[in-house]
Amino acid sequence: MIRKPGIIVYIIATVIAFVFLWPVLYTIFSSLKTMSELRAAVPTFLPQEWTFEHFFDIWDRGSWRRGNLARYIYNTFYVAVLSTLLAVLINTMSGYALAKFRFKGDTVILLIILATIMLPLEVIMVPISRVIRFFRIYNTHWALIIPPAATPAGIFLMRQFLLKIPDDLIECARIDGASEWRIFLTIIVPNAKPAIATIAIFSFMWRWNDYIWPLIAISDSNLYTLQLHISTFGGEYRTNWANMLATSTISMIPMLIVFLIFQRQFVQGTVETGMKG
Amino acid sequence: MKKFLALSLILMLGLVIAACGEREQPDMQMMWFSDGIEGEVMEDMLERYREETGVWIELFEIGWDDYETRLGTMVDGDDAPDLIRTTEGVMNNFKEHFVSLDGVYDEAGFTNIFYNDDNEPIGLPMDVTANGLYVNLELLDAHEVEYPVHDGENWIFNGEERVWTWTEFVTEMEKLVGAEGVTYPGTYDPQGHRFMPMIYQQGIKIWDEPFVSTNLTSDEAVAALTLLQDFYHGDLVDDAPIANWNPGGAPSNFETGMYGFHMSGNWFASDYATLDFDWTVAPMPTGETGVRATLLGGKSMSAMQGENVDMALDFITWLAEPANHDEFNNGVPFLSGRIGAEIDFGELEGPYQVFQDEINATPAEYAADWLQMTQVVGIYPIINDMVQDVADPDGLTPLEALEKAEQAIMDSLEDN
Repeated sequence: MIRKPGIIVYIIATVIAFVFLWPVLYTIFSSLKTMSELRAAVPTFLPQEWTFEHFFDIWDRGSWRRGNLARYIYNTFYVAVLSTLLAVLINTMSGYALAKFRFKGDTVILLIILATIMLPLEVIMVPISRVIRFFRIYNTHWALIIPPAATPAGIFLMRQFLLKIPDDLIECARIDGASEWRIFLTIIVPNAKPAIATIAIFSFMWRWNDYIWPLIAISDSNLYTLQLHISTFGGEYRTNWANMLATSTISMIPMLIVFLIFQRQFVQGTVETGMKG
Repeated sequence: MKKFLALSLILMLGLVIAACGEREQPDMQMMWFSDGIEGEVMEDMLERYREETGVWIELFEIGWDDYETRLGTMVDGDDAPDLIRTTEGVMNNFKEHFVSLDGVYDEAGFTNIFYNDDNEPIGLPMDVTANGLYVNLELLDAHEVEYPVHDGENWIFNGEERVWTWTEFVTEMEKLVGAEGVTYPGTYDPQGHRFMPMIYQQGIKIWDEPFVSTNLTSDEAVAALTLLQDFYHGDLVDDAPIANWNPGGAPSNFETGMYGFHMSGNWFASDYATLDFDWTVAPMPTGETGVRATLLGGKSMSAMQGENVDMALDFITWLAEPANHDEFNNGVPFLSGRIGAEIDFGELEGPYQVFQDEINATPAEYAADWLQMTQVVGIYPIINDMVQDVADPDGLTPLEALEKAEQAIMDSLEDN
């Protein structure tokens, strides 16, 4: 019989949750403060006077820079969705191949893929930049979508998950005459739903929040993502905190929606694969 | 699952088709950063330029923190922007990639021009910044602190036609120590840049011989840094912004209305316009020699090497015309890099006139001296360290800090 957690556990969990939630809530509440409250030497957590003026301000279409907010949201959504679909497709196929097929050099390939996890983006930024220029996709959204489509972490996660599917199940399908594509689509994919949900959520989150790579790969302001747009509020001497906070708050909403839709699969996938954010 | 796959496929196809539409390409690109609305002002001007000439220049903004990183990757990839908003630091760090503007505009009509190693201008000065001293008039008047006032023609202090000296400034501001409603008499931006005018105000240049030797260990420079150290170690200036390295701390302090002065620059004036107490800008004190000096900075418009150099230079020629140049600075508004510019500062007319007066009072040789100083790679971290070293109660003596800074400058010159 599983014992219910005691009150102490709940208190500790609540405190830990609040520690992590604090910066998020602080951002949201600060976006609802007046300019004078934002400037206060001793800032308060909750606004003394609630205002939505900054949200109206960033949507003001009379202004060149602010007026593109809808475009930036669309750009970010476009990049995140397409990149996520590609990531799910490529990572699932690659993970399946490495988990269930034995071929010459499979272990070496897996080790090479795992080794690339150790390389931070900053190290491989210049080579990737040259590759996207070679393929003439620099300064297009494809430069944001294609390079991160196959992630070593995603491939490894999928491989580990698929290792748990009995080989006999696949063998039975083959004996019954199922093609490899049919096995993949009707046996592997349905059984890998928790891992697919985890990859989808992480991929969407990474692409939605991505800043450094779009900064390098995009120079056309019409192609900017939300994170690039938010960074433009920072000047040499002054930062427009009000608009930065309001835009940041808006940028959180799609992530919350995605998480709320997929939270069951996300938790299951995280537990079963050991992957963390 | 089949439905999910079908929907995913349809969504992917839809997005791919949406991406296939070819976008019309601009004739040139301009890289930009903003502290406020200047990007929008320039965008309006670019629209007018397109109407007048048919040349489409597309402006794209990058946050200041990543500005040089972004420019570096663009230059490495042979994709430098045709035009770019530059600071002294940007021009210095990428100077071989900028096009000479020799003969493109009349240099005599502008101030704060940045030159490359061949003594050719590589930027058209657009807006300039000046260091200055904000004072809380309500607090100063309430505690009978005297300060210079302008009678329409001259600055008057203690009944004489002059500004105050640092000694007089300290005497007056000490009246605020421990006074009711006062946290500290003053607050300083922590950056070393805000300290540097104090050296010029002692009546010396920083370079003894440009890029060869400095006057940083002279008695005058030591006296200037000793003054700053006394501020921090005494009760005159709140050391929290520098102790915690919080550049936003000093303006936040001043905005509470409980600090008598804030040593900073003109870039905070528009933020302070909404403060609910009376404030103004007072002339910065001088050393005993009576020399006034501020530190000029600013932004320029530069053209970069590439395929569109001629078109880019045409634009800079257009931008240098008085009406066009003034349109930009009036649109923000900013102090102008064009000598004789007519800028309407609106409700900030008074404070901005003081900044302009500080610029006018600064000897040209000091302005040129500082521009040469900005060409030392890493100069800002060097002078930031210098003021932090003396502000720290367990740090260095002023002479030690200046010697360390001088050595760092020489090392930088040798390495670069």
